Amino acid sequence: MKHERALLGAASVAVFLTLWEGLTRGWWTEHLRVSQIFVSSPSAIAVAFYRMFFVTGEIWNDLRVSSLEYAVGFFLAVVVGIPLGLAAGWYPRLHYVVEPFLSALSATPQVAFLPLLIAWVGIGLWSKVTVIVLLAVLPITISAQAAVKTVDAGLLKVARSFGSSEWQIFRDIIVPSAVPFLLAGLRLAVGRAMIGVVVGELYAATAGVGFMIHLAGSSFQTDKVFVGVIVIAASGLVLIEVLRRIERRVEAWRPRVGAAA
Amino acid sequence: MISGSAVLAFFVIWEIVARAGLIDPLFISSPTLVARAGYQLFAEGEIWNDLRVSAAEFLTGYLLAAAVAIPLGLAVGWYTRLYFLLSPFIDVLNAVPRVTLLPLIVIWFGIGIWSKVVVVFLGAVIPMLINTFTGVTTSEERFLRVARSLGASDLTIFWTIVLPGTVPFIFTGLKYAAGRALLGVVVGELYAATAGIGHLIAIAGNTLQTDKVFVGILLVMLAGLVTVEVLDRLERRFDAWRPTVGSAP
Repeated sequence: MKHERALLGAASVAVFLTLWEGLTRGWWTEHLRVSQIFVSSPSAIAVAFYRMFFVTGEIWNDLRVSSLEYAVGFFLAVVVGIPLGLAAGWYPRLHYVVEPFLSALSATPQVAFLPLLIAWVGIGLWSKVTVIVLLAVLPITISAQAAVKTVDAGLLKVARSFGSSEWQIFRDIIVPSAVPFLLAGLRLAVGRAMIGVVVGELYAATAGVGFMIHLAGSSFQTDKVFVGVIVIAASGLVLIEVLRRIERRVEAWRPRVGAAA
Repeated sequence: MISGSAVLAFFVIWEIVARAGLIDPLFISSPTLVARAGYQLFAEGEIWNDLRVSAAEFLTGYLLAAAVAIPLGLAVGWYTRLYFLLSPFIDVLNAVPRVTLLPLIVIWFGIGIWSKVVVVFLGAVIPMLINTFTGVTTSEERFLRVARSLGASDLTIFWTIVLPGTVPFIFTGLKYAAGRALLGVVVGELYAATAGIGHLIAIAGNTLQTDKVFVGILLVMLAGLVTVEVLDRLERRFDAWRPTVGSAP
């Protein structure tokens, strides 16, 4: 059957939502001892979603704050991570210097630094930005470094024997062959930066979607919590899609490997 | 050699900056202060309880996740219909950072050990599941065809072809999940807890006991390194029969 996947998927989602909605409606509610406060329900969440976006508009400020933190943090991570990774891949000595720090950092869940960061830069925008940088810079640096190291040695030899300068080699060989690695690193970084925003705001903040979730959670407004979760899931999906578009764009020149699509 | 001196230089500069008062040691502590705090925490024994709680949360959540994810992943990879049924939920959970659900989990399970176990479970279960699933669906097509034409039963095919082929994928998932699980423990304890290393870090941070914060971070780092090493060993053990690909070591 052609549409089996879509049909079965839709059916299971529909069953799930119906059961969820049914939990808090009907005579069994008393016997199950679940209350709206704990589990909310799809309809309540939809209402809360509509209210927060279009009636009170309270979510827009949180969204703006979170996006700003995300954008600044991600930008800084890229600006630091790519040059550092490329340089560490190119100069072995630099690699020896940064290697112990990189591996120590990547073994730690970087969010453990959060209380420290807050002591240093406060609970405003910058503590979130630094935590995002810490989380996102690692995959970017590591992938940039790996990219340089795996450059085709044959190409390098040819370029050298024809007398290319280091800069030409860098521009014409290293950078183009590094792009797929960099994109893989960026894709990882997108998700990790999202963790940074959420955790940073849950832990200590004055605004933002994570902060909204935290407030709503501590005051048992479960429907609002779910709205926040949906907003974050949606943003994650959008960011991944944007990255995929960029990827297709910059990779368009590359001959395709494998079976035709 | 260079690595060693870089690390050494880092510690020396850190110590000097703190000693000379260029930056208040209240904020950055110093290697000697951290060492002393670490010694004290262990000597007074107050840290053992935190370590025990964190370890219990990590292990319970991680093992539960493995116990659910590996069989489920195998089943989802084997039965296409089951995959169609579950894929919307897996995809959605994969898209959300699971720590977002923390406030809800605290409402449902309280601030004790179980809320952390659930966060660890949710963090770890998705990568394990997706990797196991991928392992099954990428089973070597030729082997399957040969086995089928020689009349192997589904059970035989599963045990002799699909499962061995999936093991490397399962280990990749387990390794990735270990990082996620550790993240879950730390975030869960930072957010709301009554004990644990993350809780220690949070309390010390709020009271500006920077040296204790660093001790906590070092312990978490150590835990991460040990977990990865244990999984590497296990993987080598399970993969010992496989012919090595590439140049001889």
